[in-house]
Amino acid sequence: MMKRRARNLLLAAGGLLAAAPLCAHHSFAAEFDADRPVKLRGKVTKVEFINPHSWIHIDVTGPDGKIVNWGVEGGSPNALLRLGFTKTSLPVGTEIVVDGYQAKDNSDRAVGKDLTLADGRRLFLGGSAPGASGPEKKY
Amino acid sequence: MRYWFVLLLSAPLVLNAQRWLPPLTIDGQPDLQGVWNFGSNVPLERPDNLGAKEFYTPQEAAEKLKQGFQGDRAVTGGAHYDLSQFGLDPSQATYPPNLRTSLIVGPEGKIPPETPAAEQRDAADTARQKGHEFDGPENRPLGERCILFPTVGPPMLPFAYNNNLQIFQSAGYVAILQEIVHDVRVIPIDGSLGGRPHLPATIRQWRGDSRGHWEHNTLVVDTTNFSGQGVFFASATESLHVIERFTRTAEDTLLYEFTVEDPATWVRPWTAQLPMMKDPHRIFEFACHEGNYGMANTLSGARAADALRAPADRQPSGTKPQ
Repeated sequence: MMKRRARNLLLAAGGLLAAAPLCAHHSFAAEFDADRPVKLRGKVTKVEFINPHSWIHIDVTGPDGKIVNWGVEGGSPNALLRLGFTKTSLPVGTEIVVDGYQAKDNSDRAVGKDLTLADGRRLFLGGSAPGASGPEKKY
Repeated sequence: MRYWFVLLLSAPLVLNAQRWLPPLTIDGQPDLQGVWNFGSNVPLERPDNLGAKEFYTPQEAAEKLKQGFQGDRAVTGGAHYDLSQFGLDPSQATYPPNLRTSLIVGPEGKIPPETPAAEQRDAADTARQKGHEFDGPENRPLGERCILFPTVGPPMLPFAYNNNLQIFQSAGYVAILQEIVHDVRVIPIDGSLGGRPHLPATIRQWRGDSRGHWEHNTLVVDTTNFSGQGVFFASATESLHVIERFTRTAEDTLLYEFTVEDPATWVRPWTAQLPMMKDPHRIFEFACHEGNYGMANTLSGARAADALRAPADRQPSGTKPQ
């Protein structure tokens, strides 16, 4: 049998097994904490449409009224572009809700698992995407 | 719906491939230039349950594509995106039609077994890195460091996204620009095999040394002089040898095939095939270092984890980088 590491390098790097979870530029598990889910509601302050991952920054008002600027990691710009999402799709001031996982270093950064507009519409879905016309997620 | 039409059309395209003649460049080479999409939902290795079945029917292939997204896989293996929202779902992507059940051709559809020596190298490599994976940036994979992505090859393999490349041709050269980490491979082209020798054996490179020649309308690229540092295949040695074949079989189709051999790693050579299709979009800038917040976040996460660990459990830092 081929040793595990060599096989994993090929399969993980290429996202080559359709049944396996797809891999991205880096290890999500290394950067974000799956045991630290966060739900953020805030207004977009900046969208960085950059490789290898896009970053969306939002101002979140806490229960104490204090505003904290969070950075949320998203997909690669080209993957998003080909789904019709451009750097102007999310203007500054847009209110969004982010369901995600906080960074392992406990900073104000998260990976965006789900991003939705305030009215419940999900972001980034392509026209032919499964679930695009299906039930909305409840928050 | 469009996938059905594409897949149903694919069989006649293959049948017509031999009759279709590619346009020529100004100096008479078959013209392979343009932006090509080499994404695929077909796995490199065939799933065990398919046995020796090498091809799907068009209906089976369309169904397979639709299965790309199967609910919320967001937390599979750790924190992750919802694949339906970030362009990582295969069913949302546009792929070249492909009825293959695995990119690797032949009845087995698998990477051949490793030699015992390769298994020993793997084990030693794993042991050497264990516990030091997050010591510093040098310990992280080349792709994560924005230096070189393991799928840019040779041989080239599809990744989860950004499967776009652009081919340029000029007199005596073909250049392949990969979108991901903006790698360019410049391949000297000669009229026939052996026209221009490889670099001396003392010169070794991560991506090897490529030489090309034309066989009728097929560009054949021979690559040797790999570094043996396991950039693409963890156990591969300096004797790694890759032969690639590029054949434009239709206006919008480029067939890519490669054979990989390394007698010090695998018990026999293996061959894979991947169709590419013309992409109407441009290559997007890949300024990887500038946007690589992931590296800082990963290391700061590891340091936070270190701080929570008892001092006796901490590994001494400093190891040979990958």
